[in-house]
Amino acid sequence: MEAESAIALRGLVRGYGRRAVLKRLDLEVTPGKVVALFGANGAGKTTLLRLLATRLRPSDGTASVFGHDVVRAGHEVRKRIATLAVFGGAYATLTAREHLRLDAALRERTALDPDDLLARVGLADSADALVRTYSSGMRKRLGLARLLAAGADLWLLDEPHAALDEAGQDLLDQLVREARARGVTVLMATHERSRSRRLADAALLLVDGRLQRSDGVPERA
Amino acid sequence: MNDLLAVLWIARKDLLHETRSKATTVATLFFSALTLVVLAFAIGQDERLLQDAASGALWVALAFAGVISAAQSYQADLEDGAFDQLLTTPVPRAAVYLGKLLANWLFMLVLGVMLLPVTLVLYGASLPASWPWLIATLALGTLGFALIAVFYAGLTANLRARESLLPVLMFPVVVPILLAAVRASGALIAADDLELAAGWLRLLVGFDLVYAVLCTAIYHFVVEE
Repeated sequence: MEAESAIALRGLVRGYGRRAVLKRLDLEVTPGKVVALFGANGAGKTTLLRLLATRLRPSDGTASVFGHDVVRAGHEVRKRIATLAVFGGAYATLTAREHLRLDAALRERTALDPDDLLARVGLADSADALVRTYSSGMRKRLGLARLLAAGADLWLLDEPHAALDEAGQDLLDQLVREARARGVTVLMATHERSRSRRLADAALLLVDGRLQRSDGVPERA
Repeated sequence: MNDLLAVLWIARKDLLHETRSKATTVATLFFSALTLVVLAFAIGQDERLLQDAASGALWVALAFAGVISAAQSYQADLEDGAFDQLLTTPVPRAAVYLGKLLANWLFMLVLGVMLLPVTLVLYGASLPASWPWLIATLALGTLGFALIAVFYAGLTANLRARESLLPVLMFPVVVPILLAAVRASGALIAADDLELAAGWLRLLVGFDLVYAVLCTAIYHFVVEE
């Protein structure tokens, strides 16, 4: 058990076919920290997030979330995480309210009020509209509401600022700060350097499948 | 987590999608009706031959409709990473499979019940006295078909050639189900012979049980890359 780390990677390797995308990554992230993950397109940021979200299996090495191995204890990992997909990860033929009810049922958090959550992310007036009528920014805002609803200890955010307008990006930053204050750990893959640097406790750079520490980052993320 | 509730919520999601998009309903209804009409036309005027062919025609229509339905059942999931999001909730993979199965099965069963009177009229057959057993045959046959179709549709969902691969992969596996369903419903429609149908129905129950256990147990390999 590695209970002290929100995220622990040990010699983590992941490839697609013969192409290695992640090459022997080692990392520890302390609970309650916000970590920004930078890297060029195709550097492996999304692969790392999907691996931690138990959607991909490592080719070699191990990855654990709050001491739970992502392969052997995937179900325990999923109890602790929430994800935000690049495009919001919503169903086009459901409404925002139906998404939150579905999530609440699947996560056994039925006491949450969808109206409060949707008001928080600026979707109160669109709660009963089908997601297919939403703009990409509204879909992302719904993703934020679902993050809040999940009550998770680790947020895995894939390009969270993308598609959001200025107000939406401010809201996202505010939600991340509040989450950190509650002890939530955040790992966000992003190209939004200036905002993320202001927000993050640590910044990492993925280059050619290997993790490098970005400037001004403490030894232990 | 109450896994049964998760199954029902996931099925509800898929059924809501279908009632709103009607993507599968329109395609399968049109295709199935066309199949029944064309086969009846090809067989001709011979009443006995038509009645004997009725169950086969019904299951051919249902099988092709089932493939379309299964292929469509993951389309909504794949848009915008919605399925990824679903699979990161703390719900057992088996519950995801059973939820999608329930939605797909209900859809096929309703389609089968709608096609049955059309088949009887087109093929000059009458509703047998043992019609509840005919409905049971439809339920067991479509369940077996959906068990395999949803499993293989999940397996091929991320592949570029999924629409051509799905029938190639699943039809060899689903043949025993289809044969048993054709024989059972044929015995009922053409001869109202419950005794003959019972043997095939027992076989259908056996196939359904085996496939249900197997597909549920290994579905996590299908959705984890």
